[in-house]
Parts: sequence; structure tokens; C-alpha cells
Amino acid sequence: MTYHMGSVDVAALRGINLSVRTGEFVSIMGPSGCGKSTLLHILGGLLQPTSGQVIIDGEDLTAMTDAVRTDMRRRKIGFVFQRFNLFPTLTAEGNLRLAEQIHIGGNRRNGNSTLESKTRHEVLKLLRLENKMNHKPLELSGGEQQRVAIARAIINRPAIILADEPTGNLDSENSKIVLNMLQQLNRELMQTIVMITHNPEAAAVASRAIEMQDGTIVKDH
Amino acid sequence: MDNLIISNIRQRPIRTLISVVGVALGVILVALNTGLVEGMLNDRLRREQGIGAEIEFSRRAGGPLSPQSIMPLDLRYLDRLLRIEGVESASPVGRYIQTGSSGLGFENVEGIDFNSYSAISGIKIVEGRVFQSDDEVIVDQFRAERSHLSVGSRIPVFGKELRVSGIYSPEVGSRVKISLKALQNYLDAPNKCFSILVKVKDPSKQEEMQKRIASELPGNVVILRRDLQLGLGRNIPGIKGFVRAVLTLSIVVSSLVILLAMYTTITERTREIGILKSLGASKRYIIGVIEKEAIAISLIGVGAGLITSFIAGWLIERYTSLSIEFSWSWILIAGLIGLVAGVVGAFYPAIRAANQDPIKALAYE
Repeated sequence: MTYHMGSVDVAALRGINLSVRTGEFVSIMGPSGCGKSTLLHILGGLLQPTSGQVIIDGEDLTAMTDAVRTDMRRRKIGFVFQRFNLFPTLTAEGNLRLAEQIHIGGNRRNGNSTLESKTRHEVLKLLRLENKMNHKPLELSGGEQQRVAIARAIINRPAIILADEPTGNLDSENSKIVLNMLQQLNRELMQTIVMITHNPEAAAVASRAIEMQDGTIVKDH
Repeated sequence: MDNLIISNIRQRPIRTLISVVGVALGVILVALNTGLVEGMLNDRLRREQGIGAEIEFSRRAGGPLSPQSIMPLDLRYLDRLLRIEGVESASPVGRYIQTGSSGLGFENVEGIDFNSYSAISGIKIVEGRVFQSDDEVIVDQFRAERSHLSVGSRIPVFGKELRVSGIYSPEVGSRVKISLKALQNYLDAPNKCFSILVKVKDPSKQEEMQKRIASELPGNVVILRRDLQLGLGRNIPGIKGFVRAVLTLSIVVSSLVILLAMYTTITERTREIGILKSLGASKRYIIGVIEKEAIAISLIGVGAGLITSFIAGWLIERYTSLSIEFSWSWILIAGLIGLVAGVVGAFYPAIRAANQDPIKALAYE
């Protein structure tokens, strides 16, 4: 897979060849500008590669229209961002409910609202946020906000979680909590996770570490 | 309620208020203006139909609701009409249109021969006396009450301050009456009038009488006064155009306000749009969220607009001599206009939001 950007041809990614198995926790490290975020955005269907394929759970993103790719992202991909990206006007539970609404196409009248509520509560409990359900993001610490973001990412049981510097805005204590959460999700729920980071300590919690440089993978162990 | 649309509306109260006011303004424009037009025309119609004459004989097709102050009919027609078999009585009427007493709208002043007019319409002086000179007028009780007039008060007619010599009842025809002679003098139209009211001996044969009068006095306009309703509004030039202009203006104003408000909101919430896209929200979903927000704001605006219109209508009726009549059809139209304005106004911002690049949107500060 390659990705060229801009009117002056700049290769952000060159000849990337990557396979991630179900249940793997992969970290991707590298210096700034090495193409980590570009790779993540392509894996999540937010960008289209200039050449190559992206196959997630048997479905080829590159062969899809924008609408179908969006649908794929809704069903199979969960994002966790460095800046949390929660809706400030909604509570923790509200943010999860919104993700559910989008997942089922905005149609909540399929008779499962009780089940959805139970699922939300279970996920929030798993991430130790059961007492924070009715809090808005501003009322939560950075670590709690990121845990809500993780909860939102997993609420619809996606095939893969794509985490973009999930500890980038957190102090060391909260970073540890979030990384432990991700590890727990990977261990207990067999959740596939691809996490990009520039922090070696964060990368170390993954079962597989990839290093990138100048748009290409230089190490994979 | 933990709902994205409601929370967004509450989160930005000033923006919401401005949008609501914009929609309400459009609703008020439609409701109040059509209410005034309907009230004015219906009030006039009721008073015209209350005169009691079955037939109106005139020279032009203007009719009693047309805004003309000329007197084209010769008074000699009066005797000729009285000689037609089946005619019980007749009364000549002159007309003068001036600006309304409150400065709004217009006012009709009738020049009459009191005795013959009273014989047809049944009006009686309930206070004071009938006019006895060119400087005196009589007014109906409604006009007297609204304008706080009593016998001896002065009101502006012909650009002069004329004395109220008497108050009459019931309210028929115009609310201000002067002697026909005085009106002829003012308009320099000696022995002329605007039309002649005709009362027939047998009202069940009024169509027959209409034809008889038309054949005996050809070249004139002979209308049945019961048909006045059919011509409601048609004879007043510009009414339809006025109403259309009001409707168009209200849609444009409300739509523009919503468009600007939602456009600003979308810009502020660029990152939120990016988040929605990263969660897999389709373009349709994003458009739906924005349109629902606009519709919610519009509904509030419609409610506020209608309440304000009713209050304003009550105040106008209380403190001016204008009449307002709200009709359900126009209220519905006003409400629909408010909603349509919301949907239309938000459409372009919604499309823009749905087509945003998610990466750029997520990176937006």
C-alpha cells in the first residue's frame, strides 16, 4: 500500500505490507512524520491509499464507495483519539448512546433499548466508570474521558480498535490506567487493537511492536 | 434529556434565541398581516351587508370595497330609480377615502342623505344629533369608543378638524358619515354621488329587480349587495400582491436567519462533525441531525411567533380602530412557512457538513 499526498507528490507511505490477526494488540511506533497517523486513517477508511488494498475482516475498503466505507467503519471499526473527541454536551452514557444510534442507523425502535442500556452499563462497569455515567466530559479527568472514549469505541463490538496516541494527552498515572484497560480488553474480550504511539513504554504493553520510518515499516517484532 | 439535538440547542442559547426570533418574525409577518387584511375586509363586509339595501346602483365597477373617492353618478338617477316598479326606497351615497385615524390603513367617510339612508339601514342617533352643517360629522359607537370620541369632539376629515355632532347605531357602512352635500362641496362634485342604495319591496325578487333596473337604466352597474362577499378583496387593487409579498418576505427572512445561524453552528462544530464521521455516521445521518435541530428551533419559533401575533392582535384591537381576524388556514400557513424556512435554511449548511473531510474536521481547532 502506498499513499501520495498533495500536488507535489509526497509519499507519506511506501510499500506498506501489514497483516494483523484477530485478537492481536499491535503498537506502531515511529518519529513524527513517519506516516503512523496516515496509516491509521487509511486502516480506518478515512483516507484512500493511492495504491494497494485494505482488507478488514474480509472486506476490502479500497473497493468501496465512500458511503459503503462509512458503513463499514460504523460496523467494524472503533476509533480512540489522542484528544478523546467526546461530545461535550452529552454525558458519558450519552456519548455511548450516540455511538449505538449511529451503529444501528439512528433507528432505536427495534425493541432492544433495554438490552442496549444493559450493554452500556456493562461496558462502563468494565472500564470502571459506572459512577460517572451521568457526568459530562468536563466533569471527568483526562483518564476518565479517555476511558469513556474507549467505551464508545468498543460498545458496538467492532472488529478492530484503532487508537491514535491514546495516552498522548494524559499524565503517566492515567496513561498506565488507559493502557491497562486496553490490555484487559485485548485479553478478556480478544479485542483486536492497533495503537500508534511515540512512547516506547506505551508500545511495550502491546503483544507486537512495529516501527515505522519515512513511510515504511522498518521493524516488526 | 441526554440528546445531541436538544443539548446543542441548550448549549448555545444566544444562537438559539436569534434563530427562534428569526423564524418567529416570519410567522408574525404572515399571521398579523393576513389577520389585519382579513379583519379589515370582513369588518367592512359586515358593515356593508348590514346596510339593508338589496341593490347598489353605480356608474363604475369599483363597488363598495374599492378605494375610490370619486363621485361619477348623477343624482338625477335617484328619481328615475324611485319610479321603477318594485323599488321601495333609494338613498344616494358619496365616498371619501382618507388615512386611518391611527395612522394605519385607510378610513372610509360616507356622504349621505340621513333621512333616506336611515329609512333603509335603520341607523338612529343615540347621542347628540345629526349633522347640520358642512363642518359636522356623525360617528358610530365603535369609532366613538375606540377613539374616545363624544359629542363635540373633533376628528380630522378632509384635512380639517370637523365636529362630531352625534353618535349613531348600529354600525353599518362607514364609521364616519357626513352630509352628502358637504362631500359634494369638498370634492367639487355638485349633484353627484358614488352610488345609490336601493331597497326593494320584495326581497325575494331582488334578482328580478336587478334585471329590471339594468334594462330600464342601461350602461350602469347594478349589483346585488349579497354578492359583495364574492368580490371580497378582489376589488382592492394590490391586496393579492401584498399578501404574496408578505409570504415571500417571511420565507426569505426566516430562511436566511436559519441559514446564517446553522452555518455558524456548523463552523463551530466542525470537529464534532469529524467525530460523527469517525463513528461511521453517514452523510444522511449528519444531514438529519442538523435538519432536526433546525426543525426543533423552527417549532419553537413558530410557537413564539403565533403567541406574539395573538398578543399583538389583542393590543392592536384594544388600542386602535383596526380589526384583526386570525383564520386557521392562515395560522397553518404561517406555521408551515416557519417550518419550511427552517428546513430550507439549514439545508446548505447540512450538505456542507456532510461533505466535510473527516481528517480536516478532526484536526479543526
